[in-house]
Amino acid sequence: MSTEHIRNFSIIAHIDHGKSTLADRILEITGTVSDRQMKDQLLDDMDIERERGITIKASAVTMNYEHAGKNYMLNLIDTPGHVDFHYEVSRALSACEGALLVVDATQGVQAQTVANAYLATSVGVELIGVINKVDLPSAQPEITAEEIEHVLGIKKQDCFRISAKTGLGVQELLDALVTLLPPPTDLSGEPTAALVFDSINDDYRGVICYVRVFAGGLTLRQKIRFMGAGRTYQVTELGKFSPKMSAVDRLGAGEVGYVIANIRQLSDVTIGDTITDDSNPAKRTLPGYVPPMQMVFSDFYPGNNTDYPKLRSAFEKLALNDASFSFVPQNSPALGFGFRCGFLGLLHMEIVQERLEREHNIDVVQTAPTVSYEVVTNDDNVKKIDSPSELPDLSHIKELREPFVRLEIITGTDSIGGIMKLAESRRCRLLKTDYLSQNRVMLEYRAPLAEIVYDFYDLLKGVSHGYATMDYEFTGFEAGDLVKINILVNKVPVDALSLIVHRSVAESRGRRMLVRLRKAIPRHQFEIPLQVAIGGKIIARESIKPFRKDVTAKLYGGDVTRKMKVLKRQKEGKKRMKSIGAVQIPQEAFMSILDNSD
Amino acid sequence: MNVEKSHCEQSGLYVHIPFCEAKCRYCGFYSEPVRNHNSARLVSAIITEFQMRIQTSFSPQTIYIGGGSPSCLPQEQLSRLVGEITSRWPKTDEFTIEVNPGQLNKTSLSQLRKMGVNRLSIGAQSFDNTELSFLGRRHSVENIQKAVDAAKKAGFQNIGLDLIFAIPGSTLASWEHNLMSAIDLGVQHVSTYALTYEEKTPLQKAVEAGEVKPVDEETDRLMYETAIEKLEKAGFRQYEISNFAKPGFECRHNLNYWANYPYIGVGPAAASFWNDNRTTNIAEINTYIEAIGKGESVIEESETPKPLQIACETAVLNLRRRCGIYIDEFQKQTGYEVLKLFAEPIDKYGELGLIEMTDGRLFLTREALPIADSILCDFSDV
Repeated sequence: MSTEHIRNFSIIAHIDHGKSTLADRILEITGTVSDRQMKDQLLDDMDIERERGITIKASAVTMNYEHAGKNYMLNLIDTPGHVDFHYEVSRALSACEGALLVVDATQGVQAQTVANAYLATSVGVELIGVINKVDLPSAQPEITAEEIEHVLGIKKQDCFRISAKTGLGVQELLDALVTLLPPPTDLSGEPTAALVFDSINDDYRGVICYVRVFAGGLTLRQKIRFMGAGRTYQVTELGKFSPKMSAVDRLGAGEVGYVIANIRQLSDVTIGDTITDDSNPAKRTLPGYVPPMQMVFSDFYPGNNTDYPKLRSAFEKLALNDASFSFVPQNSPALGFGFRCGFLGLLHMEIVQERLEREHNIDVVQTAPTVSYEVVTNDDNVKKIDSPSELPDLSHIKELREPFVRLEIITGTDSIGGIMKLAESRRCRLLKTDYLSQNRVMLEYRAPLAEIVYDFYDLLKGVSHGYATMDYEFTGFEAGDLVKINILVNKVPVDALSLIVHRSVAESRGRRMLVRLRKAIPRHQFEIPLQVAIGGKIIARESIKPFRKDVTAKLYGGDVTRKMKVLKRQKEGKKRMKSIGAVQIPQEAFMSILDNSD
Repeated sequence: MNVEKSHCEQSGLYVHIPFCEAKCRYCGFYSEPVRNHNSARLVSAIITEFQMRIQTSFSPQTIYIGGGSPSCLPQEQLSRLVGEITSRWPKTDEFTIEVNPGQLNKTSLSQLRKMGVNRLSIGAQSFDNTELSFLGRRHSVENIQKAVDAAKKAGFQNIGLDLIFAIPGSTLASWEHNLMSAIDLGVQHVSTYALTYEEKTPLQKAVEAGEVKPVDEETDRLMYETAIEKLEKAGFRQYEISNFAKPGFECRHNLNYWANYPYIGVGPAAASFWNDNRTTNIAEINTYIEAIGKGESVIEESETPKPLQIACETAVLNLRRRCGIYIDEFQKQTGYEVLKLFAEPIDKYGELGLIEMTDGRLFLTREALPIADSILCDFSDV
């Protein structure tokens, strides 16, 4: 097929604005999926995605559509909808010429709508504005259209008003997609260049690469080369998702599909790499993607040290399906052997946690999530650290830099006050206030990532009664007056409980951490002193009083079986905690240090 | 363990009488009001269970009739039961009956003494009438004094009293008064139990409803420590977490439990540990009597713990004794080396000064007693 009849597009939207429903409707109208033979929201693959209502992995579906007597091939490339997955969105968008920007008419433009629209524009993707859920009584399509025009510069009269649920306006939208979005540039005569925009691991077929062919073409049994990795393979299968995998002999320029080529491990494939013909290679690689950037780190230790190999193999399996997740062995003086894991964001971390529990059934102790820092040592070396425990002695440090983000918050005007107060308490600096309409405003902040990564979103939802949305984008590292808070439990410093914070809040944070820990660590047989130290100086102490009485009064012949069961349960309870010397620390305690609430 | 071993060791016989005059407020055990039942039928059924279950070779060193309250059986039924037992097992070292104050007079006590009962365990609980009525006990302080007096006059020289402490509303002073009252009565044995709030009891419900406030942990502990102090000063020796005796008057029947030696329990809800089997009889009285009538087994639950489990049970039970675990004896009895099997908790609690070892014995220290469960749980499983 000539590229003239191909349209590659994405749907981008804030979570729950109807992206997956619209995708379903398009699949139906094009006859790709007949009478709902598949589950709702077809493109969401994994259980967790479906449960959380979000999409983790981008998927691609090829459809046929007839318009004005001509057959078109439509390739829908799905994108994740959450703030943590910027990187995956950028990968998917780069494989498209256009995108449908979906906004819920009952909610209006949200922070992720803006972030995704900026991202699309930055990779040169043409946008079509779509106002969804216009059938609902609470829909405000005109106000929404004004917001879209005001914030995103798409003219309000050009926005399509649809209901993905009922199908209203979707046919017209499809026609517009064909007429308004540009086709791929025809580079069929050039040497092969195909972009890998995603990859998954299949238990039976090995690694499957999602590709967009930009130039030349891919054919069965072709000897291909991954230009970045420098590896060569022979294509064993080519195909498209329709939406099931269906094999083809050739993927031509402008087309989207999959490649299987005896690739053993997901880690052998770099997302953003260019596939070319080994004997007739492209002159240069396609404009690359930014590699995934892990922003949040947390240590995982097996509850029981003998489970270390089990934990390693679980992480290996998780990494097979998730190229954005990383793990490296870690040895903590207090907690023993474990792994430092890197995540795109907190939600990504929670997803990995859940999969670890659900699919691998291992008791783990996890430390409080932290961001990474840049340390400039006295000899001007710059070193990145992903954990407070790696921080060198202060006397060796010239400068400590923390990550900053551009934070966008969209909210109703009535909660501005609360949000500004919250942002101020987290060292955020207001850059811009932009009224989207009479009642809604967009606030732009420069914010330290460490201050917003953990509980900020929940607090934001709290002060705005659930209405505010936020998105953020990493902008760079900047020096700050940062100090490390050390916690001593029973006089032993526990590295896994340390935290890097701004000096201005260090003392109050430290005291609060002690109060949290006193509540989270159960009473023991002896008194446990808790101390907090900043820069070697103890600034506060607390103690956990021992329990005074814990003994069964009567134990005679008839009580043995029951009593033994009770004692075993008591012992089991201890096992789920991590021993530091004679002190047992439960999982909640490690997380409690980040609890900043009163 | 095998049959021969059971024969050459100590063993005990327990008989359970699940009757009470009325249920106490704190009691979580199965028992029924005696007036609703035909006690003759129950005693007959128990005697039949002796015939059905117990081999002639069984020769217990100790016998214990407990409950409920055996003393609320009509005198002729209690005598029939005791007579049957002593004719089957004429030679026992210790024969105890649990007695509630106010339930047996001097004549009936004399009769029991003559038939071979040589130890009484009296459920005194408190020497404060307000506390007694709080607990739902039906006797008075005067009844206790009279019961001890009658027992002595009937010729009993081995009398034990049960006391409950940490009763809501009690104070350290009132507890000391209770202890001194018990000591002053000149008994040989005292058991002191902290009041426990068993599930589904009226007392537990009252706590949940906020009507009753349990004694705080610190006072509870002080009361326990006071008991040890006062009783030891009066010439009693603490030989188990809750038990104190004048030298030579330790309850041998209960020592048998803490040694994890075999015992057979007869009667509704009675538990046995025999041939490495732990079994429990049918609890409900009528179902029990019917099963006996049909010649069917009365065992409701049965479990055969593995040798390792038995070793753990033995360690937990032994450690409740002040003498603790006899290291050599433990190995002979269970086949396991205690120092290896429990190396981890022994090291840990040794360092914390909660466990000590001397003269081939491993035992909980004085400081460990009030928090024994937090230590014993690490011996409950390996």
